[in-house]
Amino acid sequence: MSRPAPPAIETVDVVKTFDGGIIRALDGVSLRVEAGEFVALTGPSGCGKSTLLHLIAGLDSPTSGAVWVDGQELGRIRDMDAFRRREVGLVFQLHNLLPHLTALQNIEVAMLGNGFSHKEQRQRAQELLEAVGLGAKAKTEPTRLSGGERQRLAIARALANRPRVLLADEPTGNLDSESVDRVLKLISGLRDSLLAVLLVTHDAHVASMADRVVRMRDGRVE
Amino acid sequence: MSFAELIWRNITSRSVRSLLTAAAVAIGITTVVALGVLTHSLKVTATSVLKTGSADFTVAQEGVSDVLYSAMDEEEVSRIASDPGVDKVVGVLIGVAQLDKDHPFFLRLGLPPGQLADFGVDVVDGRPYSADAPDEIILGYRAARDLGKKVGDDFTVENDSYRVVGIFRTGQVFGDSASMLSLSQLQAEERKPGDVTLAFVRVKEGQDVDAVRKRIEQANPELATVRTESEFGRVDRNLELIKAANTGATILALVIGAVGVSNTMMMSVFERTREFGVLRAVGWSRLRVLFMVLNEGFLLSFIGAAAGCLAGYLVVQALQDVPALRGVFNPTWEAGVFGRALALAFGMALVGALYPAVRAARLAPIAALRHE
Repeated sequence: MSRPAPPAIETVDVVKTFDGGIIRALDGVSLRVEAGEFVALTGPSGCGKSTLLHLIAGLDSPTSGAVWVDGQELGRIRDMDAFRRREVGLVFQLHNLLPHLTALQNIEVAMLGNGFSHKEQRQRAQELLEAVGLGAKAKTEPTRLSGGERQRLAIARALANRPRVLLADEPTGNLDSESVDRVLKLISGLRDSLLAVLLVTHDAHVASMADRVVRMRDGRVE
Repeated sequence: MSFAELIWRNITSRSVRSLLTAAAVAIGITTVVALGVLTHSLKVTATSVLKTGSADFTVAQEGVSDVLYSAMDEEEVSRIASDPGVDKVVGVLIGVAQLDKDHPFFLRLGLPPGQLADFGVDVVDGRPYSADAPDEIILGYRAARDLGKKVGDDFTVENDSYRVVGIFRTGQVFGDSASMLSLSQLQAEERKPGDVTLAFVRVKEGQDVDAVRKRIEQANPELATVRTESEFGRVDRNLELIKAANTGATILALVIGAVGVSNTMMMSVFERTREFGVLRAVGWSRLRVLFMVLNEGFLLSFIGAAAGCLAGYLVVQALQDVPALRGVFNPTWEAGVFGRALALAFGMALVGALYPAVRAARLAPIAALRHE
């Protein structure tokens, strides 16, 4: 009998405090995202959604509790840079693209030092641009792209290193409805190539696209 | 995109600031190159006099500020000549005169005409002056060319009138830009009867040069013997002062350049905090961020260094036309000048960019991403 596959993402009783414990952003969060799932994390502003996402991405560490991604406990990983490079793809609300680089270069920069040859790097970046519908804008700088195009470019960058899980923090927060639908369709279409997708949103319409919705309030999962 | 391309894009995307920083580095490098060439050339010119006539060594008064202020009497020259290891000694009096505002530093060298060959003088036109003809003078070919004089012309130095009887060549800028006349005549005109400035000594074949030098210095404690360029400071403090000024200017250039690079890199790091957060979030290591910022500093410095070397070359070319430097400044370019410029640029980048680079690398990704 084979052992069951570990969950794609699991947090166990995670607590995160700031300012020496004065602010308790996460108060014992336990969450499980199974392999193949697309989960939306919703809740009012300040409830701890983004904080939890950052802990899962390895950008911050919990005050107590444990975070697991694809069977690896983050607290035991020595090279967190390599973890972020290989395991997770991150999409931010403000897309955080580098304004002085072209669309193609914004994707390539994420691949630097990750074992891709120059040719492979260029080829993959171009493929990703094609996949998000920006194939014709490879040489365009982000400042000359629309909000929706920038977010699609940010998604392409998040996928550059073939991550296992995609973590998106309000990726549709600043977009018009047409762009929202296009970005959601894009993320939804990625599910087959990823282990899991965890998307933070406070928009019910966006959340409705997910397999499952997890609600948070005051640093806890409801 | 390669790592090098990224660094180039980062620099060129802030072109005005990058250019200003490179300009600050370039000014420092220009100063260092120009001063380096000037110092080296003055040293070559000054020390070339020591090598005149294939002398084994030169004797001068010890501890004078300028070798031209050295004063020895002919008795001391005779004492040197009496050393059993000495083959030949030529005592030379050097006088400095101002011809006009374009020639403020004109040298007259007095020595017996019979010793011209021993002094390495080759009369290429006309004839040598006579020992008993007080109005005869010979000119170095550079001086003759510069002054527009030829054999047979009259020539006046301050209030002394001469007739040019010959043109000579020594193979050294210092000598070829000067004039020569009889020792006794120059002693009279300079009011230094019986005095010479320097003595050029050749030792007998098979003799130990250092042993001869030691004996001469023991017998004449007020005199110093000089054999190599590094010993020149014993008889000329000016060159040491110029070298010290050069060192000071180099340090100053390093500080100015480093502050310029540091200022730019700090501003850049502050402005790009979110960018570093993004790079860390996509898996860049601290080391890679550090390396990127450091290399941006290096690139800025080396662009400045290239511009500085070019500007330094142009400054040196312009310096050749400065009247005060005619005859004493003949630029000699050595690879070391550019080597020092590159080392300085490296130092500026390292000192200037290290702290900003460390700061960028130490940013916590989450804090950097929250930076407004």
